[in-house]
Amino acid sequence: MEPLTLGALAALTLIVLLMTGIPVAFALGITALLFLVINDGFGSFIVVAETLFASLDEFALLSIPMFLVMGSAIAASRAGADLYEAIDRWLYRVPGGLLVSNIGACGLFAALTGSSPATCAAIGKMGIPEMRKRGYPASLATGAIAAGGTLGILIPPSITMIVYGIATETSIGRLFAAGLLPGIMLVGLFIAWSLIYANYKGYSFVEEDKSFSLKDKLIILPKVIPFMAVIVLVLWALYGGVATPSEASGVGAMFCIILVMIIYKVWRPTNIWDIFSSATRESVMLMMIIGMAGLFSYMMSNLYITQGIAEYIAEQDLSPWMLMLYINIFLLVAGFFLPPVAVILMTTPTLVPIIIQAGFDPIWFGVMLTLNMEIGLITPPVGLNLYVINGIVPDVDLKTVLIGALPFMLCMVVGIGLLILFPQIALWLPDTLMGPAI
Amino acid sequence: MKYFIRSVEALSRWFGYFAAVLLAVAVIVVCHMVFMRFVLHESTSWQTEFVTYTLLASTFLGAPWVLLKKGHVNVELLPLMLGPKARFSMALFAYTVSFALCAILTWYSFEFWYEAWEEGWSSDTIWGPKLWKVYLSMPVGFFLISLQYVVDILSLVTGRCRPFGIPDTETLLGAD
Repeated sequence: MEPLTLGALAALTLIVLLMTGIPVAFALGITALLFLVINDGFGSFIVVAETLFASLDEFALLSIPMFLVMGSAIAASRAGADLYEAIDRWLYRVPGGLLVSNIGACGLFAALTGSSPATCAAIGKMGIPEMRKRGYPASLATGAIAAGGTLGILIPPSITMIVYGIATETSIGRLFAAGLLPGIMLVGLFIAWSLIYANYKGYSFVEEDKSFSLKDKLIILPKVIPFMAVIVLVLWALYGGVATPSEASGVGAMFCIILVMIIYKVWRPTNIWDIFSSATRESVMLMMIIGMAGLFSYMMSNLYITQGIAEYIAEQDLSPWMLMLYINIFLLVAGFFLPPVAVILMTTPTLVPIIIQAGFDPIWFGVMLTLNMEIGLITPPVGLNLYVINGIVPDVDLKTVLIGALPFMLCMVVGIGLLILFPQIALWLPDTLMGPAI
Repeated sequence: MKYFIRSVEALSRWFGYFAAVLLAVAVIVVCHMVFMRFVLHESTSWQTEFVTYTLLASTFLGAPWVLLKKGHVNVELLPLMLGPKARFSMALFAYTVSFALCAILTWYSFEFWYEAWEEGWSSDTIWGPKLWKVYLSMPVGFFLISLQYVVDILSLVTGRCRPFGIPDTETLLGAD
């Protein structure tokens, strides 16, 4: 059979299996084994265990659970609430107050955890009830948090970027640096939209009844600054090339645990168990997907499907921009149905050589891919953040959240457009910090 | 049968605890490595490899517990759209096919482990641990996931658990 026909059949099989509700990891594994056996018979199975092991036998992968431990230590404490409170105390006089501080809080919390649902949950629990109490409509309040939460995978540290870095053999430090300015740009776009909308609808800008003295503002800082300091140190170690991502995140995880023990007195064995059990759950789930995706891409390249697709696209003689448009649409649709990590692992072995061939920068592409995945997090049918919000405020139905999130999705599309027009938004910081890429 | 289901679930849970402990060990060992290298300026030999294998073991051994907790992410779009009967058949199909995969992987990873054990393979690093110790987590892990799937199928057929763990009243647009 032609590699392309095989590829189409494999994609179809995978989609059908995913639709039946089989876990993503196992659907990847089943498709891989099925096509290996069709093509080469049962003899081809002798390599599966070794391939599976080899795709997880990678020191850099350790940074994933380490960042997860860091995030769940922070999520297990009141750190999210305090961060929210601190930003509110400092920003309450800024026009658009509450919305701005909520989106800002999402951005900062994203830097602390590297996970979108965690950001959404931590800030949403405080922010949504507060905004609704102040008369903001449910759609705007929930939509802003759902969108703000997606910053988790763009602003460093980011689990998604680690996986992209490992899958494409690009520098994780460079990817992290590349995500920072686009992250800030998105925060800016979100805030701009919120202000325009709030102004149009006539929501109050300054909350007159609220006032905080300088003492109020200062007293909360000792609770927030240590965590920010840990993140800054971890990122500094990474950008400076002092330590590998796994080392930096491991030390960061230890510091975060010590900090929540000291500041929030989270030291009972059950508290520690909560931190590690939630990190383990996420880590096992992601690592299983990574391992099985390793089997999947082994099958794809063993059956010459990867190479077939690459050749086919090369033959089409598309202009680079048309190619980028198609890739974006494809990623967007894939992101609607699959978690970011799965999309990255399944597509990058094929896509990245193609985009490098077309003259694009793989680091820049990683950022753009992440932006696409962010949109998938707030679109049905599997928008993870929508369900997190639904869990926080069950009285607001999904449709309302979705309507509220829609303008923010458009902000992200604008963000993707800006990133395509001005690749320097992503590439300037890593090039300046770490020298131009070779 | 109840006894069987309970024991398998307890086993999965214990391995879940163990996987979390392994992760905690990894945090400590990484910190030890960083301390040795950056504070004492000494070279490290076994830590990098050790934590990589620890994470591998944590993944395979923790997987049955994550399955028990319905933590392996899946796409629930179609099951949510279907009525109770079709949802049941779909769950039965999904569980059975996943069981088949895990059973196959148990067998082939066992063979892989057995070869490493027979031949006395060791890692070609300075530390050079015996590889059968490292590979062991794979067949054990997949065997336990297969067992957990048997329990899931039994629980589904006997009505002990709902298909995909979704409450019957829940549909695509949220719970009724």
